Amino acid sequence: MKINEVPQDDVPYFSEGIKKGNYALDDQGKYVMVPSKGWDVDEFINSLAFNEYEAKVEETRKAVLEGKKSPLAYYMELRQMIPEFLGKTAGIATFRVKRHLRPEIFAKLKEPVLDSYAKALSITREELKTVPHNSQER
Amino acid sequence: MTTETLANGKPYIHRTSAHCETGVTSALFRDKGVDISEPMIFGIGSGIFFGHLPFLKWTGLPVSTFRSLPGTVFSKAAKRLGAKVFRKRFRNPQKGMDELRRVIRTGQIVAVTTNVYWLSYFPRRYRFNFSGHNLIVLYETENGFRVSDPALLEYTVDCSTHDMERARFARGPMEARGLMYYPLSVNPNPDIRKACITGMLDSCKQMLKIPIPLFGVKGMRYLTKKIIKWPDKLGYVEACRQLAHIVRFQEEMGTGGAGFRYIFAAFLQEASELFESPELNELSNEMTAIGDIWREFAVVSARIIKQRGQAEETFAKAGGLMLICAGREEQLFRNLDKVVRKFKP
Repeated sequence: MKINEVPQDDVPYFSEGIKKGNYALDDQGKYVMVPSKGWDVDEFINSLAFNEYEAKVEETRKAVLEGKKSPLAYYMELRQMIPEFLGKTAGIATFRVKRHLRPEIFAKLKEPVLDSYAKALSITREELKTVPHNSQER
Repeated sequence: MTTETLANGKPYIHRTSAHCETGVTSALFRDKGVDISEPMIFGIGSGIFFGHLPFLKWTGLPVSTFRSLPGTVFSKAAKRLGAKVFRKRFRNPQKGMDELRRVIRTGQIVAVTTNVYWLSYFPRRYRFNFSGHNLIVLYETENGFRVSDPALLEYTVDCSTHDMERARFARGPMEARGLMYYPLSVNPNPDIRKACITGMLDSCKQMLKIPIPLFGVKGMRYLTKKIIKWPDKLGYVEACRQLAHIVRFQEEMGTGGAGFRYIFAAFLQEASELFESPELNELSNEMTAIGDIWREFAVVSARIIKQRGQAEETFAKAGGLMLICAGREEQLFRNLDKVVRKFKP
């Protein structure tokens, strides 16, 4: 890759102005460090995964509002966790975490348990009890 | 380029790098007074590799890596350059944070392994649950730490205590468990020639001689076969998802594909001056060409996924490109092995 082949595509919502380092050949055929503004291919591939994640979070949020899942499920998705890792972070067994994803069981949880979840998810106990009513509030 | 003053008054110069671990290692050595470039660390630490790990899942899909195991570049480079290192994981987050504070107060910069999701200075779309990002902690600030992230930023940045603790001790696949490392003492005049020879021979061994068909050149061939079969076996949508996953590992997450081939080419170029060997320079050119094909693979893959099966680009073509890479890399490392064996340390 030569210096002028280093991608400099405009993808501000993706790279947020951050430039990544690349090694490229200069006119004398010597390797130099060239910062790159962004690359379309990179952005496209990232957007696939990112959209998949956003869609999953949104789907869970709706399920919570419909009463099919507990708010814990929403925040777990938001933090990109699965019951196993949420359980490890909060110090609660995985099978219990899975039970707590059901709204009727979540509603009966005592404060200390809610607190350990809130701490593991870096939110307050009050936040943990509800989910945002529209997808923009995050 | 930014300059910072450490706790003991020593200056620290932040330089951008192409990859986190090599950038961090190079900065740690520079801090100890041994000026060694990032590509040199990459070559000496034998960073180049390929592996497809169907049994190790990340977001539910198998991991493909284009580099050696995280952490080995630092360990190998330090060993080959004759440095004594401190490297520790912690069970207790509080102890891990206390130890970090204690060391940076003495003016020693410390590298830590972190989970990208919890680093809020990252762009939002980069923040995925991936525990393998290395950065350097410089000194304490009022409500956190000043950090130098050579692979991502052109300047140093603040990181809150909360972010740092969560990032270091995040639970998940490949957890870092608060890993922190730094060299205790460094040989001021390391035998770079000898270290390069060891590094290059080790790279050849990793790419050619591991008797498991998932690693090195064999791994590429194995993955090629899988890619070509995917559309029939998994259906088009799932096949695209898997292909996108490979490209993500290749281009985006410090596991670098083409980028790593360019770093290795830069290393071969530096080594060719060191050994005054035109052969190494030729190999560097060849590596550059291979890097270009890897990039082409990413471009073709993206096109396949975009058009969702409407003609021209096919999985067979993407697989074919990877097969070309496999063939040319095999030849390159065979030649490199022959060239290096003639050198005297």
